[in-house]
Amino acid sequence: MAKFIERRLTPTDSPWAILTTTAAAFLAAMLVTAFLFLFYDANPLRAYVALFHEPFATVRGFGYSLVRMSPLALIALGTIVSWRSGFSYLGFEGCFVIGATATAWLALVTSVGARIGPVPLFLFLPMAIFLGFAAGGVWAGLVAFARAQLGGNEVLISLMSNYVAILILQYLVSGPLRAPGSLPETRLLPRATWLPFVLPGTRAHAGVLIALAAAGLVWMLLQKMPLGYELIVTGFNPSAARYAGIDVKRRLLLAAFFAGGLGALAGMVEVLGSQHRLMDGISGGVGFVGIIVALLARLNPLAVIPTALLYGGMSVGADAMQRRANIPSSITFILQSLAVLLVLACDALRYYKINPSSLGRRTRQTTAGWVAK
Amino acid sequence: MNGAQAFVVTWLSASLGLAGPVLLAALGETFAERSGVLNVGIEGTMLLGALASFLACHYTGMVWISLLIAVLVGVFANVFLAWMYVSVRASQVVAGLVFNVLTLGIVSTVYRRAMPSSAAPESIAMFHPLHLPFLSSLSVIGPALFGQTILFYLTLLLAFAAHFVLFRTHFGLALRASGENPAAADSAGVSVYRMRYAGTLISGAAAGMAGGYLVLAQVGLFRESIVSGQGFIALGIVIFGRWNPLKAAAAAIVFGACDALQLSLQIFGTRVPPQLLLALPYVVTILAISGLFGGKAVQPAALMRPYVKD
Repeated sequence: MAKFIERRLTPTDSPWAILTTTAAAFLAAMLVTAFLFLFYDANPLRAYVALFHEPFATVRGFGYSLVRMSPLALIALGTIVSWRSGFSYLGFEGCFVIGATATAWLALVTSVGARIGPVPLFLFLPMAIFLGFAAGGVWAGLVAFARAQLGGNEVLISLMSNYVAILILQYLVSGPLRAPGSLPETRLLPRATWLPFVLPGTRAHAGVLIALAAAGLVWMLLQKMPLGYELIVTGFNPSAARYAGIDVKRRLLLAAFFAGGLGALAGMVEVLGSQHRLMDGISGGVGFVGIIVALLARLNPLAVIPTALLYGGMSVGADAMQRRANIPSSITFILQSLAVLLVLACDALRYYKINPSSLGRRTRQTTAGWVAK
Repeated sequence: MNGAQAFVVTWLSASLGLAGPVLLAALGETFAERSGVLNVGIEGTMLLGALASFLACHYTGMVWISLLIAVLVGVFANVFLAWMYVSVRASQVVAGLVFNVLTLGIVSTVYRRAMPSSAAPESIAMFHPLHLPFLSSLSVIGPALFGQTILFYLTLLLAFAAHFVLFRTHFGLALRASGENPAAADSAGVSVYRMRYAGTLISGAAAGMAGGYLVLAQVGLFRESIVSGQGFIALGIVIFGRWNPLKAAAAAIVFGACDALQLSLQIFGTRVPPQLLLALPYVVTILAISGLFGGKAVQPAALMRPYVKD
């Protein structure tokens, strides 16, 4: 007779099971975070309403959610390309900074009266995308080189490279690129280099379209193109890939180049779309939250967009909460990371199977037994 | 004392002082990695330990109690991590990394609740440098070697103790076997899960204590950027030290020397931008683990491989 809860030999991978375990994990994380709201003398239910109302139920707030979504989505896409190719790159914070720096520099040298002079946006934008992508790609490519040619550990090297990139940025904004004033930042970038706004009445800018296009392209690369197939095979089983005639080292370098480039585009979108100047602390952990978004989207490029929108929206809501109720916005960091940890833990649930029919039978039996007594 | 001598004294002394916390974290991490667990979460554990010891010292004023609390918080946090690594068998890099983001959230949330008026960061009681008779009055090496806090000497002692436990005891043998060949260790009667829990918890205790060391012996106050990658540098030191506590001590002092160079050059005035000097320890660590000096061959064979007992 089937037991009520039965253990499977392999975890089920039906979309339904994945969706329910993810939802259960998210609810559990919200429950834990609810206690933190109590700690701040706030009603958890009202806090959650506040957290989600502004970013998803107001036009202006939704525009901000889209603005926050774009860099997160681009970093998550970079994570997907590198991790599915077997390259555990964690240096997106650094790529973000490198991309932001490179494009801000380009914007400064193409302003009125500067060395190159003003460039129309339809020329500037491709230049910025190209420069940013290449800078980030080479930055991440160096780590891939250390792994492929020297056998170094990419996890640690990429973590260290974040700090180097951030210190380079600090040097530039407090030295060569610094604007007169008390803060370590550049002057406002020329208006002609700003990404155009795309939704009237909101701050949503063309970076949103760049993120959407990138998601489509990464999906095509990984699902439809031979190169993507080779990358995934390299990630799954490098020795099998080598036997199949795939140049594993070159694929690794290529994956790192794409990943770093996508991470740098996130920095470009942030600096040209919303900050409009380069400053110290521009990244603020977005490189790691982007990785978390990719994990929650289970490394699926199309699922990245709604997930990044959710996480970006939560950070908008958190800021609103901090302004109104004086609850620190760092609480959402807890919610966002706890959700992923619990999703990982809940994966263990997919090993189990519930047999509702067995429950019915047993009830009848007990009833029968009771009647017989 | 002339200028050059003063430079050497401050540089040496700061090198050893800065090496202390990273060495402590690296010693613990050596146990985790020898058991087969790459604990990336020591960065976050250090941050938790730093906050715990700061708050404890703020309220009690007793440095040893605060250090003990930092250790306990480190162990407690790593029970969760060990469960993720060993029982859930999650990807170790992923679980550790996300844990670090989680601790960042916890720490800034708790700190703001505990210290609402953080206009001026409050300083707390600290460990003071010991001045050993005779030894500290030796020229140059005296003040550098024998003018450290008691935590530094304790850390050195722990390095020798760690070496002994790892290579001279049954526990150490069982731990290393779990990281080299868990299946063989299992058939020899070693509980691989228990060894890996032990390794992770030891690294948690050491990382928590390292956080306390930062606050109680170096900085004297708390800020969210207090750890800023030192846990990751400890991971690099474990690799550069070839998973050996005594070699890790040597590697940590090299790292401390790079870090201290920036401090002492700033005191003596230099035109090199400070940010580029600050990047030096990270760059040196990158070079040390880039594979230019080998290293892959000696890492524990089952590192980052979750063990499934059939």
